[in-house]
Amino acid sequence: MSPARRRVSGVLVYSALAVALFLTLFPFWWMIDTSLKQPVDIFAGVEFWPKHFTFHNYYRLFHNYSFGAYLTNSIVVVTASVLVSLVLGTFAAYALARFRLRFGVDRMALYGVLLVRMLPGILLVVPLYIVLAKWGLLNTRLGLILIYAGLNTSFVIWMMQSFLEEIPKDIEEAAMVDGDSRLSALRRVVIPLAAPGLIATAIFAVIATYNDFIIALTLTSTPSAQTVPVGVSTLIGKIQIEWGPMAAAGVVGALPIILFALLVQRHFVRGLTVGAVK
Amino acid sequence: MAATPYALLVPALLALAAVSLYPIFYGVRASLHKYRYGLDMGSAGKQNYTDVYHDPVFWEAMKTTGKFVLLAVPIETLLGLLLALLVARELRFGSWIRVALILPMTIAPVVVGVIWRLMYASDIGIVNPLFSHLGLGTPDLLAHYTGAFLGLVAVDVWEWTPLLFLIILAGLHSLPQDPIEAAQVDGATRLQTFFHHTLPLLMPVLLVAVTLRTIDAVGTFDQIFVLTGGGPGTSTQLISIYSYNTAFLFTQYGQAMAMLVTLLACLLALMIPAVQLIRRNSRAAS
Repeated sequence: MSPARRRVSGVLVYSALAVALFLTLFPFWWMIDTSLKQPVDIFAGVEFWPKHFTFHNYYRLFHNYSFGAYLTNSIVVVTASVLVSLVLGTFAAYALARFRLRFGVDRMALYGVLLVRMLPGILLVVPLYIVLAKWGLLNTRLGLILIYAGLNTSFVIWMMQSFLEEIPKDIEEAAMVDGDSRLSALRRVVIPLAAPGLIATAIFAVIATYNDFIIALTLTSTPSAQTVPVGVSTLIGKIQIEWGPMAAAGVVGALPIILFALLVQRHFVRGLTVGAVK
Repeated sequence: MAATPYALLVPALLALAAVSLYPIFYGVRASLHKYRYGLDMGSAGKQNYTDVYHDPVFWEAMKTTGKFVLLAVPIETLLGLLLALLVARELRFGSWIRVALILPMTIAPVVVGVIWRLMYASDIGIVNPLFSHLGLGTPDLLAHYTGAFLGLVAVDVWEWTPLLFLIILAGLHSLPQDPIEAAQVDGATRLQTFFHHTLPLLMPVLLVAVTLRTIDAVGTFDQIFVLTGGGPGTSTQLISIYSYNTAFLFTQYGQAMAMLVTLLACLLALMIPAVQLIRRNSRAAS
């Protein structure tokens, strides 16, 4: 290509990317902008910068709309369920990464796990609702924790299996020759080596659980167990929408996730595609 | 304790089965029972299925779901491919551009709904002023039958083009460079190289990406719940919304499950090939 043509194509590429970036990011800014405006200014026509900057919408969110409770519920539910699923899933992933079982049970388990991962939430919530009602676990954090722990396990197995396969067998076999049992070799040698993968897996599980809506929506009904996304949706059901607090709620819902996402961007492809692509 | 593979595997599989297989079996059973005011009134035979298949609203919801998926996914695939090709080269701030482009798919779908509620709103939004500035009137998207549907498709494209972009970009980076360079040495134009070499090599990854996205799009719920609740009329009532309403507004668990079992049967026709594709790709990679 001649230098002139190359320059033209460079300009085209960067302008196309500028348009794409603008379309991607502007909606975020519109939400942040609205959340920092006073009610009068929200209705005062298109304004790309808050004229009278205020945090009042955030104050009202926590003071009038029990966002403190939603946030606490989310933190408790996410932490507990992710921890449980990490333990269960890592053990299973280790078994799948290291052993060939009879009748191809290991491959069947692995791809069965993948199938579960693809099920849309709406398919599960009706029976889960009926079952949880029987057990008296509707509208409890415990009910949510149990269900998310189980569902996250599928994701942890799939992710950790691919991370553990990358760790050479020789290292733990050497440890076992030196007298470690398999479990202690796993704990002392394999897990430390897999730590970056384990952390990435944990963060993706946190993102997925914190973001989930339909399960929390159907299985909880009051701020004693409702999570942040459900809290956000309660601001919309009203006859007159409170735009300011709603925008603020969106920001509170998105912010921790964006921070977490920036931490694991190196593993994005593996984490967000059920491992379809490594 | 002897750490046999089975001892390591079984607890996780049990936990998983408890929240997936068990609900599905229970759901199939519920689809064969009659519920009144949310109470199980005993076996109903095939009655729920007969009722659902004679319900025009059910078929309309299935059709709306199909239209939604068939419109959104191809647009997302094309845009994702285009973006990936733009970003695949060496760029200044390349990694920042990549992260920024992926943000919409990382946040909660509910928040996506909130964002676009704020964009579309007739009184405080930006879409109406934008259209009227361009002399196209004020479409007031969410209040109109077709407008609301297209508005939802646009939201889905905004949220999920990043997924296709991300997978395709990863696919492009993992392609063998030799055949592509050889073609360019032989004097092939860029377009020829793309269609004859890059695209065929990319196909396995592209197929997985599109299938996964299609499966996910069929279950779209959160954004619709926040943006339109299925309306106006039934214009944005996907099957997920209709079955949710049937179960939780009208407490017809049996009928809702009959719809969802039908949906599962359709989805399995996509999920099983998807698993086979992923399996073949991972074998080819190792």
